[in-house]
Amino acid sequence: MARYGMLIDTKKCVECFGCRVACQMQNGLPPEEAFIHFYEKETGTFPNVNIQILPVQCQHCENPPCMKNCPTGATYKNKDGIVLVDENKCIGCKYCVVSCPYQARVPNHKTGVVEKCRFCVEEVEKGKAPICVATCVGNARIFGDLDDPNSEISREIIKRKAIPLRADLGTKPKIYYVR
Amino acid sequence: MAWGAIISWYLFLAGVSAGAYLTATYVGKKFPFAQTIRKTGYFLAPPLLAVGTLLLVFDAEAGLKHPLRFIYLLKNFPTSMMTDGTYIISIFLILNTYQGVMEYLGKSVNRWITRLGVIFAIGTAAYTGLLIGVVKSIPLWNTSILPVLFIVSALSTGIAATVLVSTFFNRQACYNLLTVKKIHVSLIGIELLLIFIMLYITGSANEVAYQSVMSLLVGEYSSLFWIGLIVVGLVIPFLIEGIEIYQHGLATKPKYHEISATSSNPSFVPTLITESTVLIGGFILRYLVLAAAMTITLF
Repeated sequence: MARYGMLIDTKKCVECFGCRVACQMQNGLPPEEAFIHFYEKETGTFPNVNIQILPVQCQHCENPPCMKNCPTGATYKNKDGIVLVDENKCIGCKYCVVSCPYQARVPNHKTGVVEKCRFCVEEVEKGKAPICVATCVGNARIFGDLDDPNSEISREIIKRKAIPLRADLGTKPKIYYVR
Repeated sequence: MAWGAIISWYLFLAGVSAGAYLTATYVGKKFPFAQTIRKTGYFLAPPLLAVGTLLLVFDAEAGLKHPLRFIYLLKNFPTSMMTDGTYIISIFLILNTYQGVMEYLGKSVNRWITRLGVIFAIGTAAYTGLLIGVVKSIPLWNTSILPVLFIVSALSTGIAATVLVSTFFNRQACYNLLTVKKIHVSLIGIELLLIFIMLYITGSANEVAYQSVMSLLVGEYSSLFWIGLIVVGLVIPFLIEGIEIYQHGLATKPKYHEISATSSNPSFVPTLITESTVLIGGFILRYLVLAAAMTITLF
């Protein structure tokens, strides 16, 4: 039993979309569907302006609104806290799509099943990192067990003062951002 | 938005069905002579809800391909509002179908079954608002007044559909039901007020809510909002029905004017316009609430 989480250092992200493409390959997604999407925001005032890049995917909330609202119980958390979708139970009602504050839910146009980032659970169970972490050229992503105080991610979250997105919503997301 | 026109139709039809059932029950109790309205209401409720539910099935594509999965819909009780709604709608569909069949057969229905039907009709009307009202990530929906607005709109469109269809079968059926018209005009007035309150308060909640409200008032959806919902859907029927009631009050001044046998020239056209515009407005309301939804910002 672990409590897997991720750290994304947006200052290291060069917006190469490598993680998104790797994720699409890993999950067999068509080009127009992706589990990782990017937000951009201008910060500062002229001449000291900056563009902040924010890669967003399923935040694997400890208190996921999608799981609460899923009528069929297709959305569940596994023993390691990874939020998953049982594709044999999903009816495609899209209640999770509207419920997710992070807009991380993606309906599959072929099957109608609503999918999302799965933290590459099959890789993680082999002891590897999710493909977006493994492929990141700038080492902007760290994956690991948040419950283990000696894990790299736990140490780096403290060191880099990483915080989750919209913690005020009470969803307790497990992706921490350095911004 | 993930939910578009199909879901708008569903929210609308479920509301009309619940409203028609309530109209029929009310009229049946208060005015036993008004058979056409009662029958129409009870006959309308089941097919409208059935069509609405069928639309949901078509929108849920993965379920459509594997229909057995719909059994799971009953699973996440009471956590998921959609599961709760599945129970409410299923029970209401059974009750109103029973009521409709008995009405057709000319048999009387145990009044407790009708009362249970009333509870589940209100539940159905409220549920359509609760379903989206509990979505915290969309500020335009996440307001307690939305289910109230949807209940009022369900009653209003339910009366409209019942009266409209009744009028086609029996022109005499509805002109004299001044009480129903008075209720209807009040509902339209209340609906206007609720929309104003909802937009005003929601608009002050946060930036995204403000933008949602602005997209209705001055932005992308403003013409549909002002012309379709406010003018056509609410103000026109409010005025026509209001004038009708006012004139009726001038023409006949009996103490007890629930039924006026003297109603000279039954006004078919105003009824037709009022009730159809209310129905159009009812659909536009559902459509706009879904279309103008925006998810909260992440930073």
